[in-house]
Amino acid sequence: MNIVTQTATWLSDPIHWSGPNGIPVRLFEHVIISGVSLVIALVIALPIGLYIGHTGRHTNFAVNSANLWRALPSLAVIAIVLPLTTALDPQLGFKVYPTVLAMVVLAVPPILVNAYAGLAGVDRDILEAARGQGMSAPQILGRVELPLAVPVIATGIRSATIQVVATATLGAVFGFGGLGRYLVDGISQNDTGQIMGGVVLVAVLVVIAELLIALIQRALTPRGLLLATTTSAAQSSI
Amino acid sequence: MRLPRMLALGAVGLVLLSACSLGGGSKPTIKIGSVSFYEAKIMAEIYAQDLEANGYTVDRTGIGLGDRSVVAPAIESGQIDLQPEYIGSRISYYKGTPTGDAAANLTALQGLVSAKGLTVLNYTPAVDTNAFVVRPDTATQYHLTNLSDTTAVQSQLKWGLATDCATNPLCGAPGGALQAQYGLTAQTIAGATLLSACDTPMADALKAGTIDVGELCSTQPDIAVNGWDVLNDDKHSQPADNISPIVRNDYLAKVDQASFEKLLNDVSAKMDTATLTSLNKQVAVDHADVAVVAKAWLQANGFLPKSS
Repeated sequence: MNIVTQTATWLSDPIHWSGPNGIPVRLFEHVIISGVSLVIALVIALPIGLYIGHTGRHTNFAVNSANLWRALPSLAVIAIVLPLTTALDPQLGFKVYPTVLAMVVLAVPPILVNAYAGLAGVDRDILEAARGQGMSAPQILGRVELPLAVPVIATGIRSATIQVVATATLGAVFGFGGLGRYLVDGISQNDTGQIMGGVVLVAVLVVIAELLIALIQRALTPRGLLLATTTSAAQSSI
Repeated sequence: MRLPRMLALGAVGLVLLSACSLGGGSKPTIKIGSVSFYEAKIMAEIYAQDLEANGYTVDRTGIGLGDRSVVAPAIESGQIDLQPEYIGSRISYYKGTPTGDAAANLTALQGLVSAKGLTVLNYTPAVDTNAFVVRPDTATQYHLTNLSDTTAVQSQLKWGLATDCATNPLCGAPGGALQAQYGLTAQTIAGATLLSACDTPMADALKAGTIDVGELCSTQPDIAVNGWDVLNDDKHSQPADNISPIVRNDYLAKVDQASFEKLLNDVSAKMDTATLTSLNKQVAVDHADVAVVAKAWLQANGFLPKSS
C-alpha cells in the first residue's frame, strides 16, 4: 500500500469519524483552540500595532520586541509555562493553557508588525489632505488610515492564522486533543495513514481559514483599493 | 629550527600510523544508534565504550536518533549497525504479540528480524516494563495495590495512557491487556489523557494531579524520587521488555563474530533492573553526563580499567 491509498483508507474509514477520538471532535477542538488563541492575539496585537502605526511612537521598541518573540520556539514556550499553569489548574493548566499561550506568542508578532506597517504605509499626502478637510484624529484613523491599511493588516492576520492552525498540533504532545492527536499518536503507532490523514486535515483547515479571512478582507477593503490589493499584499510579505 | 620540524613530521607520521591500525583489519567502524529515551542512550553508550576499550572505532551519530519508528528503519537500511532494543516492544512494533517470558520473546524477535538481516544478542536481566503508577494519596483513598483494584473505581480516576494505547494490545486496544484482563471500559480508555509513556510530561502530569494513574516505565527514576506506588500487574499482562543489542549481519560478517558477541553479552549479563534504575536516576534526576555514567559503571564492573 502506498502512502496515498493508506491516507485515503484512513480518512474514509467510518470508525475515524465518530467517538471521542473521531475527526469531528478533534476538528472542533482544533478550531476552538486556534480561534481562542487568535482572538487573544488580536486583542493584544491590533491595538498596539495600530497605536504605534498611527502615532509613530515607540515604533522601534514595539516592532523589535514583537520580532524577538518570533525567535521563541512554540515547544519551548509550552515547556516553560507548563509548571506555572499546572500550579494554577492541574487540568486545563496542563492540557490547554500552555498551548494557548504558545499560540498567542506565535500569533502576536505578525499581527502587530503588519498593523503597524499597514498604517505607516499610508501615503502622508492623503493624511494631510484629510486633515486639511477638517477631519479629527479619530476620523482620520477610522475613515482614512484603517480602510487603506486593511490589505496589509489582513495579511498579518492570515499568516498568523496559518501558523497557529498548523502549530496547534503541538498541544497533542501535552495531552490536548485537536488534530495533532493524529500526528502524535500516528507516529507512536507507526501508522502512516493516520499521520498523513492528520496532515491532510490540518492543511484543509488552513485553506478554509485562509479563504474565510480573504473573504472578510475583501468585504472590508474599499472598492478603490481592490484593484491594487495584489500589489500591496506582495509588499507586506517583507 | 631543524629539530622541531623533524619532531613535528614524526608526530604526524605517528598519528597516521595509529589511525591506520585502528581503521583497518577486522574491527571496522561500528555505527551505534538508539532511540532518544535516556535509558536507551545509556545502554548504547555502555556498549560503545566497551567496544572502544576493545579496539573498535565507534560512530555515535545515531545515538538518540528518534522514536522506534525512526531507529528501526535506520538499522534495517544500514544507516546504523547496532542498537540497544527493548525486545518486547520491538515485537509489538512488528505487529507481533510479546509475552512475559523473556527467552520466548528473544526467539520470537529473532524470527521476525532474521529476514531483515539482523541478529538479536543476549538480553539484560534488567527489565523495563510498563508500570501503572499512582500517588500514595490516590492509593490510600481508593485502596489500590494491584492494577485489578482499579477496575471498580476506574471512572473516578483520571488516567494517563501512552499515545499508542488505543492500538497497542498491551494497553487499551480492544481485547488487549487493559480491556480484556483488567476490565477497563472503552470509555475509560477514550477519556484518558494521552502522553508519551515513560517520559517527563507523563511524570509531570501525575505530579500535578492532571492524572491519577500514569503509565510509566518500571526503571523510571521519577517513581522513587516522588515516592509513588507502582500498581502490581497481578494479571501478568505486561511483557518482559529486557534489553538486547540488535546488530546487522553484514557487520557481524566483517568481524570476529564470536568475540564480538561475547563482548556485548558479558556486558548485558551484568545489567539488572536495580542497576539500570540507578543509572537512569543519575542521568535524568542528577543530570550527570551519559558518557560519564556509562564509564563509571563499566569501570565498577571490570570492563574498563579503573582511572587513577
